[in-house]
Amino acid sequence: MTNHWIDLRNSDCVLIMGANPAENHPISFRWVLKAKERGAKVVCVDPRFTKSASQADIYARLRSGTDIAFLGGMIKYILDNDRMHRDYVVNYTNASFLVDDGFSFDAATALFSGYDEARNAYDEKTWQYRFHRVDPDARPETMTPAQRTEYDRVKALADAREPLKDPTLQDPRCVFQLLKRHFARYDAATVSQVTGTPVADLERVYAAFSTTGAPDKAGTIMYAMGWTQHTVGVQNIRAMTIVQMLLGNLGRAGGGVNALRGESNVQGSTDQALLFHILPGYLKAPRASQQTLDDYLKVNTPTAIGRNSANWWGNTPKYMVSLLKSMFGDAATPANGFGYDWLPRLQDSGNYSWMHLFDEMYEGRIRGLLAWGMNPACSGPNSTKTRQALAKLDWLVNVNIFPNETGWFFEDPGLGIRPEDIRTEVFVLPAAASVEKEGSISNSGRWMQWRYKAADAPGDALPDAEIMDLIFHELRALYQAEGGALPEPILNAKWDYFREHGGHREADVRAIAREINGYFLKDVTIGDKTFKAGTLVPAFGMLQADGSTSSGNWIYCASYTEAGNMSMRRTREPHGIGLNPEWAWAWPVNRRILYNRASVDPAGKPWKGTIPVVEWVGDRWVGDVPDGPWPPLAAEGGRLPFIMRADGHAALLATGLKDGPFPEHFEPLESPVTRNPFNGRLQNPVAARFRGELDKVAACGSDQYPYVCSTYRVTEHWQTGVMTRNAPWLLEAVPQIFVEMSEELARDLGIRAGEQVRVSSIRGALTAVALPTKRLRPLQVHGRTVHQVGLPWCFGWRVPNDGSGGDSANLLTPCAGDPNTTIPESKAFLVNIEKIDAVTQSAHLLPRRRNA
Amino acid sequence: MEYGVLVDTTRCIGCRSCQVSCKNENQLPAEVTQLAGHDTGLTNPRKLSAKTFTLVQYHEVDAPDSPGGMRFVFAKRQCMHCDQPACVSACPVTALSQEKHGGISYDEKKCIGCRYCVWACPFGVPTAEWNTLAPRIRKCDMCSDRILTDVRVPELNGQELSGESRARIETSYRLPACVKACATGALLYGRRADLLEEAHRRIEREPGRYHPHVYGEHEVGGTSYLYLSAVPFDQIGFRTDLGTKPYPAYTATALGFVPPAVVGLGIVLGGLHLLAQRKAFVAAEERERAESARNGGETP
Repeated sequence: MTNHWIDLRNSDCVLIMGANPAENHPISFRWVLKAKERGAKVVCVDPRFTKSASQADIYARLRSGTDIAFLGGMIKYILDNDRMHRDYVVNYTNASFLVDDGFSFDAATALFSGYDEARNAYDEKTWQYRFHRVDPDARPETMTPAQRTEYDRVKALADAREPLKDPTLQDPRCVFQLLKRHFARYDAATVSQVTGTPVADLERVYAAFSTTGAPDKAGTIMYAMGWTQHTVGVQNIRAMTIVQMLLGNLGRAGGGVNALRGESNVQGSTDQALLFHILPGYLKAPRASQQTLDDYLKVNTPTAIGRNSANWWGNTPKYMVSLLKSMFGDAATPANGFGYDWLPRLQDSGNYSWMHLFDEMYEGRIRGLLAWGMNPACSGPNSTKTRQALAKLDWLVNVNIFPNETGWFFEDPGLGIRPEDIRTEVFVLPAAASVEKEGSISNSGRWMQWRYKAADAPGDALPDAEIMDLIFHELRALYQAEGGALPEPILNAKWDYFREHGGHREADVRAIAREINGYFLKDVTIGDKTFKAGTLVPAFGMLQADGSTSSGNWIYCASYTEAGNMSMRRTREPHGIGLNPEWAWAWPVNRRILYNRASVDPAGKPWKGTIPVVEWVGDRWVGDVPDGPWPPLAAEGGRLPFIMRADGHAALLATGLKDGPFPEHFEPLESPVTRNPFNGRLQNPVAARFRGELDKVAACGSDQYPYVCSTYRVTEHWQTGVMTRNAPWLLEAVPQIFVEMSEELARDLGIRAGEQVRVSSIRGALTAVALPTKRLRPLQVHGRTVHQVGLPWCFGWRVPNDGSGGDSANLLTPCAGDPNTTIPESKAFLVNIEKIDAVTQSAHLLPRRRNA
Repeated sequence: MEYGVLVDTTRCIGCRSCQVSCKNENQLPAEVTQLAGHDTGLTNPRKLSAKTFTLVQYHEVDAPDSPGGMRFVFAKRQCMHCDQPACVSACPVTALSQEKHGGISYDEKKCIGCRYCVWACPFGVPTAEWNTLAPRIRKCDMCSDRILTDVRVPELNGQELSGESRARIETSYRLPACVKACATGALLYGRRADLLEEAHRRIEREPGRYHPHVYGEHEVGGTSYLYLSAVPFDQIGFRTDLGTKPYPAYTATALGFVPPAVVGLGIVLGGLHLLAQRKAFVAAEERERAESARNGGETP
């Protein structure tokens, strides 16, 4: 979230789309309802009338996978009806920037300029800005004084890499006009044809949300996997950020772009880089072509574009060197590039995300897997492929708090391989649950909150850190004894967060928290203050690139200082706007609302009539921690609000995405329709796809698999349900897998409520209880009826142990996804639903013994 | 009936935290359930029982003028805690009684297992345990233990609490478990008079949001649990045929003749009760002996 949970209450309009927070983030509704009490409109857009919809003032249904069409229509509506916050757009977004003359979009092919068919990828050269330039052959000394003044002016702009701009937004080559032209095709009538949303409902949503373009209004968006899990996932979110930029809602109280994280600490896990492409603090993972630290820093340290850009990533060397010092301690020296060589490198175009890893496993190229705190046999797309892949491993280490389907994949009745024919050696390591250990979690609002141990772990279960410590010590001993390929990373790792306690090594999690914050390693003088070696660094502004500081994660620097562990703080804000600055701690530097310099006008005053987040009072900022200490934009030395971008502006036109600088509607890989009225192409040309024997994809418009299906969660079960299916009170509330469908579809198929039906995709099938509901209704798409169905993915065959829960909905989902994130397309794929006869029925999903 | 709970179903998102926290508070076992076509299929367990004191019922209601043309309504159900409870008046041995905060609680030591309360309750709430030899009557008692016990919390996680935090935490202990667990403020605990005032204030302030009726204000003479709803109560499973007369009033005259009869009957029933207890005791002992024999003579 750019903002945080409590801040939802400050909103004038809450758009819930691509998420069902009332179901999946129920506590958030405390704040949504507070906003409603204060007069906010709640708008919910979802294929299904969800629990969130039950609280909405406006509800619109759409066909799953058509969000860009829906939001493209909103962008057009805002522009056509002049609803945008013009001052914000001109000052804080790249709307006025002029773009390379080579940039184009061809609706007939649905391709942007720069597409390379051979690589199936874009070259971004023509997506760049045009810059001020001076004639390199000019001879200033021969110029008239007037010419010379002009020459010097332009040269200064060129030296600062200042882009050419048209603040009137009229130039046909400025971003704003290109955007306007791009979305001119998204008229409500065409959008309605595609999404299945009645035009009146579209306009109701557009009108309500675009009122927040008034400078004194703020609108927020709550989204989650309903947007990300598509072959156009990132572009779904891009479309919404464009809406938020046009309406001036970023950086504002009650505004922002708010991704609701699906697990209590998933924000923390991404911050700490549990993903292949990043290092802690969102530093980029080294690539093979970056042979030395200098190479790495050269590629990954951007140069500022324009004079007022803070270009925060310009600090990359300080953060990277401090990270290396934290990892390798004294072994990291300037001479050895601070141990950069010991980091693993990714192939330059290598992708090591989930679907790729399991594809490699299935192909037999990955031999071992640590499945740590996860249940891939049920959570990954195309479970059949995932489970087959597990059967090809030499070894599998399954670390969990309960026995799960992954550790017992060989018992899967549908696997089709006899357990005795499987060679995989499975190790099961019992782990302590979150309440059985101390540590921190970081919530969606980036709040790092300390939590305490409430109970001892049962039996042999250990905290994850202690399991890692045991493995690490065995590995280090082996490397010491036997050498082997590249032993240095293990031998040189700084690993001193454990202490002897009662005969075993115990994790000192507070020491880990301090390491993440970082230390001064030598006496360092900054300004007129000297920091002693061994003391904690007060904030990341003081991290150094010369090896005199360490920090395990620069964005967490300031979380644990000489003043103590900030995440333990528990002082409530008595009044104010809900920032609660002394409750726990938020990264970065306790900033509660990101990009908050956009909440003020260029003079530093809050946009008229708004809830102030920060304010410039002549010599300093008051309110939230501002995005950097500089004065406001209009003042001498002022800086732009979007400090993480090299140009300091929010990007209406963006580079860096594999599928284009503007969002464009494409159908899901599996879609019930066979045409796309917006352009001449049905699907995202660069979507992530796999071509193995199990990666089957149903044809669009398939008669065999006619229904659009989404998977989702329920309040009572968490992820694949390993924790919650083992909790009898939760299993009692939602005991088994179900498939929701409209009453109309149930009638067509002769299906009664509560009967068991077969749900199948081209990849797999399962049995589920049919729940016909008014909450799903047939949609009219391109003049014909399309049915949307859905089912939860929180079940597995192993628990409940009589099989009455059913199996994972991921048996149905495809291995295909977004080209940028490679997240699978679990929210829009095709299925069929069939009645099953009474005799077969009785054998399925009937609870026999439980909770004995 | 001094205290009560206001259930504003328009603020409920159906998360079932109340249902689960009740099971936890009362350490109730889970039931074996199955999804079926009843009440949207999602209500589970299906009804209140000796194992389930509170549950959230799901309702899909046609409402052409509402967003999406329907309403998805969640209604928490539990003992209504009547001002003049039929169950208490029907109980021949005062096993059921009204606590000073308004909750109706149950004393298993006094109960003779006659189940008059089960038949008497207009809401069908009290339920007997069916799977034990000494069945108790089970139902919500509005968390008498929590509310009537003073809890002191001087520190948390090794940190001394400030006066404000301490008061807040201690107050949260003196709430029914369901109310404490409610994330959205759909449940409000307080003096019944205040709750009624609040309920009417809400209806007055947002007439479009509420059906103009506070369920429980007058039903069966008034209940501690009060409900607000967006739709008429009969559409979300509430009985609207109960009248406003307290149930015990219907039987007052007839019951006048009862005391002389009860003296005699009481002796008989009392004997039966003792016999039942004795049977239960013997059965339990036998079970234990059998169990210990199976475990190779070791007492578990």
